[in-house]
Amino acid sequence: MSMPLRVASRLLPLLILALAFGIAAGHDWAGPDRILRALGGADDLRSRLLIAWRLPRVLAAALVGGLLGLGGAIFQGVFRNPLAEPYLLGSAGGAAIGATVALLVPLGLPSALALGGFSFLGAWGATLMVLAVARGAGTRDAAGLLLAGVAVAAMLGAVRSFLMLALSDESVSLQVVLSWTLGGVQTPTWEGLAWLGGLSGLALGASLRLAHGLDLLGLGEDQAQAFGLDTARFVARAILVGALVVALAVAYGGLVAFVGLTAPHLARWWVGPRHRGLLPVSAALGALIVIMCDGLARSALPPAEIPLGLVTAAVGGPFFLFLLRRRMRA
Amino acid sequence: MTRLSAEGLVATAGPRRLLDGVSVDLVPGALVGLIGPNGAGKSTLLRTLAGLLRPAAGRVTLDGVPLADLPSSERGRRIGYLPQSFQPAWDYTVREVIELGASRRPGAALAIPDLLRDHALADLAERRWSQVSGGERARALLATTLVAEPDVVLADEPGASLDIGHRLDLMRRLRAWARHGIVVVVLHDLDRAVVDCDRLVLLERGRIVRDAAAAAVAASQDLDRVFGVRFERTTLAEAGAVVLPVAHRTDAGP
Repeated sequence: MSMPLRVASRLLPLLILALAFGIAAGHDWAGPDRILRALGGADDLRSRLLIAWRLPRVLAAALVGGLLGLGGAIFQGVFRNPLAEPYLLGSAGGAAIGATVALLVPLGLPSALALGGFSFLGAWGATLMVLAVARGAGTRDAAGLLLAGVAVAAMLGAVRSFLMLALSDESVSLQVVLSWTLGGVQTPTWEGLAWLGGLSGLALGASLRLAHGLDLLGLGEDQAQAFGLDTARFVARAILVGALVVALAVAYGGLVAFVGLTAPHLARWWVGPRHRGLLPVSAALGALIVIMCDGLARSALPPAEIPLGLVTAAVGGPFFLFLLRRRMRA
Repeated sequence: MTRLSAEGLVATAGPRRLLDGVSVDLVPGALVGLIGPNGAGKSTLLRTLAGLLRPAAGRVTLDGVPLADLPSSERGRRIGYLPQSFQPAWDYTVREVIELGASRRPGAALAIPDLLRDHALADLAERRWSQVSGGERARALLATTLVAEPDVVLADEPGASLDIGHRLDLMRRLRAWARHGIVVVVLHDLDRAVVDCDRLVLLERGRIVRDAAAAAVAASQDLDRVFGVRFERTTLAEAGAVVLPVAHRTDAGP
């Protein structure tokens, strides 16, 4: 069996299991028989709730996770840095500022458009800012980029908090924005889900077109250039695509940490560093992680719901420390 | 016939001139060595010839076309560059690195099996880069450069970290390529440069001091002056002219 088939044949059952867990998990646990009955079109209230309420949320969680896994793989590839992550590098923080503005300022635009557009501008601007800060400091290595990212992310966090305090009034609940910044997938309408699905498909397509360039870049900037890659132009394009992917994830899932770090790592261990395989597998693993974490978030402390971002941080944080330790030792 | 020419190259780093009006004309058929003390501008010249550095003044042309005007994909296909050090960010396998090299020219991937055999890499192909030795990496890197059959090969001290056996093997392969293509090698060991190269370009502080047949440069007193070392010259039956450093020159510091 060829490599892609072999990987797909293992990923697919895992994804289906995770989806089943996601649909089952919640304040009100649903057993397999209930899930099957609901999927079969049963008309009782609990079945209808499962289909109308929980299924779209699980699918949205899958797409947000997929986007985070994809964005993480792109950023790690562009920065040639296994510790790069949308959340750490400030792009998620930038997207959050854009989204905060979109949520709190009446702009007269359709809310989905404003949320997506402003998230993208924030993510893109923040990433370019981190690059500029790192370059200004004369560093391009892992530690320098990370420090620049942490500094920019901290500043962006402060700006976001200030905006939240300054812009919210009686008509806009601070609670909505706050819960969103803690990360969490809302149950979308089927139309909203269709939009997210379509845009995620486009994002995957645009990302796969970067695969070969990211492979070349992995050889080092000099070597990539020697092999005929216009590195400056390619990096600019890849950051643009990466920012789009992250913005989409943030617009629909809030600030969800560490998935973009963890998923590409697991994918690289599994299928190796070539991006044609790495990008889709990282997206699939990101989907898997967020479905599971979202399921936990809904079911761990009933009837309350833990913000998704807290769950992923609790799981991903130690993973990050583990990687950091390994890297420092190497 | 391919022709790589540099005219009046100037490269700067802050106030320092790394290259100060370098002109050189390169055609296939001779292995060309770039020699000179540290900081003479050897690597800078090589990188400028490869199109990786833009000169502050002057230009490099490939068959009359300025490199700056050449699409980067065509530059990558026609000019192969072997860096001094190569540390990929991800732990690719040897085969993956060679495949990426082959991606420069359509159809080049078909030659990979033969190439792996010719370069004694067949057994290493599936190993990760971190798991192969320095000598094996050098062979793999050369194969990665040659797989796209570039018209020009520019190598920056390709043997620097290799033992003498591997270094001789590498130079033999570059000599073979130089029969039909342009090959320029930055070299630190003068003894090997004089023996292996057909033509030597001697650089000093960003300028070309001598550009002549290897034996002529070896015989020139410029060599002693530029390096600040006294050389003993002799001839060996197998190697021809050789130079041996015998003492640091006390009359002229480097």
